[in-house]
Amino acid sequence: MKKALSILGFSSSPRLGPFEQQLLEEIWARGNATVRELLAKGTLSQAYTTVMTTVDRLYKKGLLDREVEGRAFRYKPRVSQAELQRNAAVEGIRRLLQSGETSSLPLSYLVEAVSAHDAELLDELQDLIERKRRELKSKSESRQGKGEERR
Amino acid sequence: MFAVREIAVSLTFFVLLYCCFSLMVVLGWHRLKTLRLNEKSSADILFLARILPMLASVAMTCAFVVPSFQLLEPRGIEEETGMLPVAFGIAAMVFIASACYRVIKAQSRTARMVAQWLERGQIERRAAYTVCSRNDVPPLTLVGLCKPQVLVSDRTLGILTGNEMEIALRHEQAHISSRDNLKKLILQFCPFPGMSQLEMAWAELAELAADDAAVSSADDAVDLAAALVKLSRLVPVRVVPICTVGFVTGSVGLRVARLLEWGKTRENRSRIPRWIPISMLVGTAIILVVTYSPALVVTHEITEFLVR
Repeated sequence: MKKALSILGFSSSPRLGPFEQQLLEEIWARGNATVRELLAKGTLSQAYTTVMTTVDRLYKKGLLDREVEGRAFRYKPRVSQAELQRNAAVEGIRRLLQSGETSSLPLSYLVEAVSAHDAELLDELQDLIERKRRELKSKSESRQGKGEERR
Repeated sequence: MFAVREIAVSLTFFVLLYCCFSLMVVLGWHRLKTLRLNEKSSADILFLARILPMLASVAMTCAFVVPSFQLLEPRGIEEETGMLPVAFGIAAMVFIASACYRVIKAQSRTARMVAQWLERGQIERRAAYTVCSRNDVPPLTLVGLCKPQVLVSDRTLGILTGNEMEIALRHEQAHISSRDNLKKLILQFCPFPGMSQLEMAWAELAELAADDAAVSSADDAVDLAAALVKLSRLVPVRVVPICTVGFVTGSVGLRVARLLEWGKTRENRSRIPRWIPISMLVGTAIILVVTYSPALVVTHEITEFLVR
């Protein structure tokens, strides 16, 4: 996810820094959180004010909703991780297609990359099938062996 | 003028009902995924949900709007038709024309491409399929609406074993039984924004249902998975005509994973019991009979409101 966000970036969607990404992932994982709850977990080494201003920036970028809870805010994600990932992918592909003078060139890189990825996936699936075939064969052989023993 | 008003009002009702029902389907079809049904039943339900707006709006227009206008609208009085029914009537006609255009375009493109495959390549007709020796022909695909036939590239015959070929043909036979090519064409007649996800989900489930229908043992499942992987390497990167069903479509990874787990995935899900659709139909018919007269009156009141 982090890789997708940092490689592809955003233009219509806001660009995220590493700490913003980290906080967003924390909030996705928890469902909702206050700044104090985020710090209480112990995974963040930043100061309270740093976390607070970063979360506030995420709110202003439209990625979080917030509601008042006592004297603090409780933050909730406005978009799901999948939605953000999809937006990032679409935006990245759009930028890739616009990057060359002719659109067919970057498109051919994309097809090449997808084909290479597909070939790897198909090789993995082929291995799984062969393993399953061997498993079924050994099962049927052991069944035959038991049948002959009974006779 | 009476006939013009009747047509305008009927078309207005049709287009309003179609938009309302379609919007309901776009917003609510995801809930259908929570039903624990087998793939065939799920695919059937999704297809029904997809075409329900068209079916329901045509049925309600014909069953209520036209009769209420015919029976309850006084013919002697000349009323002016308001702007609303005229505008919606024109919108409905544009919609119907565009739907017809989509159907004709999809079918003619498919027919043209299939004709190209069959004319330019060497053809060998066999009992269960037709072999075509062209590089751009998909490895295994189902073409045709009324008399569907399975088209196989000669490279496919070269790489599949006898068992794999037999199971793959059984898979296509399941698509023939479900009339999936015809269903794809019908979908073209029901355009509405936001339906593409539902259509993709249906297509995916139709593939899984055909996989299930083709397989009757773990060995069959492995053979079908092997055929899928082998043919995936042959699929040409190009647009496939709408009204065809390719063997290698949907998520190959998911399909192979399901096939390798054959037996475990089948046990959990059930078919829809026949009594449910039958009782729903009977119930609807009874409600219609009981409430028909008051419903006509209400429809006519709405008609009057629209006309003015």
